[in-house]
Amino acid sequence: MASRPQAEDALSAEPSPSARGDARNAALVGLLAQVGLGNQKAFEAFYARTSPHMYAVAVRILRDAATAEEILQEIYVSVWHHAGSYDATRSQPLTWLTSIVRNRCLDQLRRRELDTVTLTPDDEDAAEIELPSGAPSPAELLLAGAEAQSVRDCVETLEAGQKQAIALAFFHGLSHGELATQMREPLGTVKSWVRRGMEKLKRCLDQAGYARSSR
Amino acid sequence: MDLARPDRRERLDRLAAEYALGTLPGLARRRLDRLARDDRTVAEALREWEARLSGLADGLRPVTPPPRLWTAIQRQLGLTGAKAEPSGWTSRLGLWRGFAIASFLAALVLGVLRLVEPPTSGQAPLVVVLAGPDARPVMVATAQRGQPFLTLKTVAPATPGAGRAFQLWALPQGGNPRSLGVLPAAEVVQVRLAAPADQVLAQVPALAVSLEPAGGSPTGLPTGPVLFTGRVERMY
Repeated sequence: MASRPQAEDALSAEPSPSARGDARNAALVGLLAQVGLGNQKAFEAFYARTSPHMYAVAVRILRDAATAEEILQEIYVSVWHHAGSYDATRSQPLTWLTSIVRNRCLDQLRRRELDTVTLTPDDEDAAEIELPSGAPSPAELLLAGAEAQSVRDCVETLEAGQKQAIALAFFHGLSHGELATQMREPLGTVKSWVRRGMEKLKRCLDQAGYARSSR
Repeated sequence: MDLARPDRRERLDRLAAEYALGTLPGLARRRLDRLARDDRTVAEALREWEARLSGLADGLRPVTPPPRLWTAIQRQLGLTGAKAEPSGWTSRLGLWRGFAIASFLAALVLGVLRLVEPPTSGQAPLVVVLAGPDARPVMVATAQRGQPFLTLKTVAPATPGAGRAFQLWALPQGGNPRSLGVLPAAEVVQVRLAAPADQVLAQVPALAVSLEPAGGSPTGLPTGPVLFTGRVERMY
């Protein structure tokens, strides 16, 4: 995969996607710091800038606007309470928030699989935002700066079946069984598509990261 | 299963990838969640994969949520522009869940107290049985009406864990939680109150215990999960 030439970025009049992304994330980091200090205006701005994106993510996975609203309410209330412990060195605000939203939505989807739901203290904790502890690994530091374009470029290099399975799983939260039904393929086939596709994504991203860091 | 061992790394990587993608079935998902809480290697693997994939979501067309979502958030938090819900905190905690059992136990405790401590004229106790969502009592708080102390006894195993502490809160009717103090780790704890117990707990229907960083919440409101709650039973 060819890495984007640096000259092109320097010459273009528009800021590159990575620069726009960096500026956007920097603004959000600043807002979160203010939210951590109890600044309501900052919280409102943070909500205005991030909620359309998060709502899109949630609605796609849950396929239910009402549940999406409930979950987002829970999450933004938690952001208000936990913004003080957000650590900008660990992950970008949008990555952080997107992970939280996706995880909560996937938990919700998967919970429906159970016949009986019993609340144990662990399950209660799972509903809380758990921020990572410990120093970031080298791979994380590398990936923290990865452009969104990289992973999308990498997905383009996948075979059709791999790409479709991964897209359906990621955007719509489909399980292996649901993928098999949706794509009208045997379970073994879709599992293999997902597995090989993810392996290929990882190799592709590792290469892109290496290419960038050696410039 | 120790996923952190070198020979398990490949399996961990595969599981983490499927966790981040969303294809992991519910039980496996929750198991990996639990493992990630205690094991840094597992937590890092999950974070790496989440970071890898998060860029995919950037391509989604944003959809502005309905205005009622922001209104609901403001109301729940009691922010400017919206009146705080009178039962905002209590309804959020599902406070009244299991209270029937807790109240019955409170009555039992009071009965025991009466046997153990002959009532002194002018004194009458308050009792709070603090329980988790399963309504199993974890702590029992008692106070004498005119005394500025609350005695807290732990009756079921409960420790905050390294670097964390339990913090006790009064949940007043229609207001924000008020801290009663960070609890030292001991089976019986005496909490000093700012005024006699019946005054401090006037208009306070319930108490709660939350999990905070060591030293307590930095914000003056609970920042961690509320683990135990209990209704204040007044025997006067």
